[in-house]
Amino acid sequence: MATNLVELLESVALRRPRDIALEWHGSRWLYRDLSTSAACVAAALARLGIGRGERVALLTKNCPQYASLYYGTLAAGCVAVPLNALEQANVLVRQIVHSGARIAFGDENLPQWRELAAQLHMHSIPARPLAIEDCPQAASRFIQALSPSPGGVEDTAGRAMPSDPGTLACILYTSGTTADPKGVMLSHGNLFSNTASITAYLNLSRADVGLCALPFHFSYGNSVLQTHLAAGARLVIEDGLAFPHVILQQLQDRAVTGFAGVPSSYAMLLSRCRLAQFDLRALRYLTQAGGPMPRHLVQQLRSELPHALLYLMYGQTEATARLTYLPPARLEHKPGSAGIAVPGVEISIRRSDGAEMPAGEIGEICARGPNIMLGYWRNAGATAAALREGWLCTGDLGYRDAEGYLYIVGRAVDMIKAGAYRISPQEIEEVIAALPGVEEVCVSGVPDPLLGQAVRALIVPRSGHPLDERTVKAYCRRLLAPYKRPQVVEFASALPRTASGKLQRYKVAAQ
Amino acid sequence: MANELQQKIQRFILENYLFTDDPAALSPDESLLKQGIVDSTGMMQIIAFIEEELGVPVADEEMIPENLESVNKIVRFALSKLQTA
Repeated sequence: MATNLVELLESVALRRPRDIALEWHGSRWLYRDLSTSAACVAAALARLGIGRGERVALLTKNCPQYASLYYGTLAAGCVAVPLNALEQANVLVRQIVHSGARIAFGDENLPQWRELAAQLHMHSIPARPLAIEDCPQAASRFIQALSPSPGGVEDTAGRAMPSDPGTLACILYTSGTTADPKGVMLSHGNLFSNTASITAYLNLSRADVGLCALPFHFSYGNSVLQTHLAAGARLVIEDGLAFPHVILQQLQDRAVTGFAGVPSSYAMLLSRCRLAQFDLRALRYLTQAGGPMPRHLVQQLRSELPHALLYLMYGQTEATARLTYLPPARLEHKPGSAGIAVPGVEISIRRSDGAEMPAGEIGEICARGPNIMLGYWRNAGATAAALREGWLCTGDLGYRDAEGYLYIVGRAVDMIKAGAYRISPQEIEEVIAALPGVEEVCVSGVPDPLLGQAVRALIVPRSGHPLDERTVKAYCRRLLAPYKRPQVVEFASALPRTASGKLQRYKVAAQ
Repeated sequence: MANELQQKIQRFILENYLFTDDPAALSPDESLLKQGIVDSTGMMQIIAFIEEELGVPVADEEMIPENLESVNKIVRFALSKLQTA
């Protein structure tokens, strides 16, 4: 019986080697291909002398090769550090160095790859470029590229796998501030248990065909990848939602049974396309996480796709991915609810002193279960603040009704939720504060019809240093990933502060 | 006409996504998405620009990389639509 993700993949590959695991543009990867290529990655890491527990940074956009690198790293007993391919080189270097990675694998065609590789060289971290192809021969070419000799494929998968489910498997960075980097440490047990919970409540099976346009480095996308491979299902990979029509065409042509999105994914699909033009009868379910979805979008989805079950879900990277889901049968009865705990997870609403709140009263949402992270990598302070007495303190505020259904009312900590991303205002402030001419800066979220929130920077210029919006935006473009760049840049003569000098973020946000 | 269209589109992208007046910052054949110049919301804004500022309606099925991925692809697409209008 499998006890980790690699064994699950191996087991499917053994039973049904010719089933399609992943489809991406013109390439199809069978379970046999994925299993073999993961074994080759594991063998390559062993040849490079990278051993158990050592970190391996991974930088590609969504593609089957990413899945191969990820599973291969786990199979080698190493720790995968998936990174955001949209991030700028300066942030990536910070995260890779912080993780202590022994090596970084990346797509050589990414625009920031050269600069990243050069910077990593200065830190003595080798950067291995990969040719990421999407042709029909992509799987065999990738396998050959990793093999030591032509036709020579090594089978080492699983040999180095740790038997303890508490062993660290991957680190997912949720914030890249210099002072407080947050790399969420997830164990093999975390990944396995959350994958099993999600697979169970979605009733995923090998008959399913999922479509994922969410980035794999991000916990929601990671969970979509892992659950489909665990179920022996097929996953169609897309690069993003820039062309909603292409996504809908794929849903139709590939007879997709499940689609995973965040609120902005659904806003994009519904705002520009007529779903009725497509034959989407195969679509069995839709999932939504990444922040609350506006009621009108829920209603529009229900009316345009009445046959598809809609799962509204809530989770955090710190909980591997998923904490709660609203069973589709209760959607009409519990509007606005984030639902009930996923199998194996307990939810508790707590006061700041740790006392549990009765039904109907608002407190911090806390959770415990086999999916809760080990902590933040090399950040004991942040770990101690988030993990208290065996509970994950999510930083979200909410309450439960008399039937135990969860409702989220806000966040106890200042984070901006733009599209699928949770953004630390401090990380953006740190970058903008270094721009010559900036006296101080406060970053907050402002309402955005598509993304939920957009980033706004309120800047106090230094006297005698005229600054304009374009200069600030051009500077941010060089140093911040697209989703972190301020959409709105405004100037003020001072920021609101308390008598003791503490920044009053809520006043800035309300301005 | 093609030149004028190209300049308009290029200027819009330079101003709103690259924050510069320097035309050398954007090659007309460069993939706007692969080079990280715009993301999915930026692409929606470009489509709105094509419709509102260039007066070229973009149908659902025309929102594909072949028509919108680079400045030159947008120019070719807009010209073909204007010529058939």
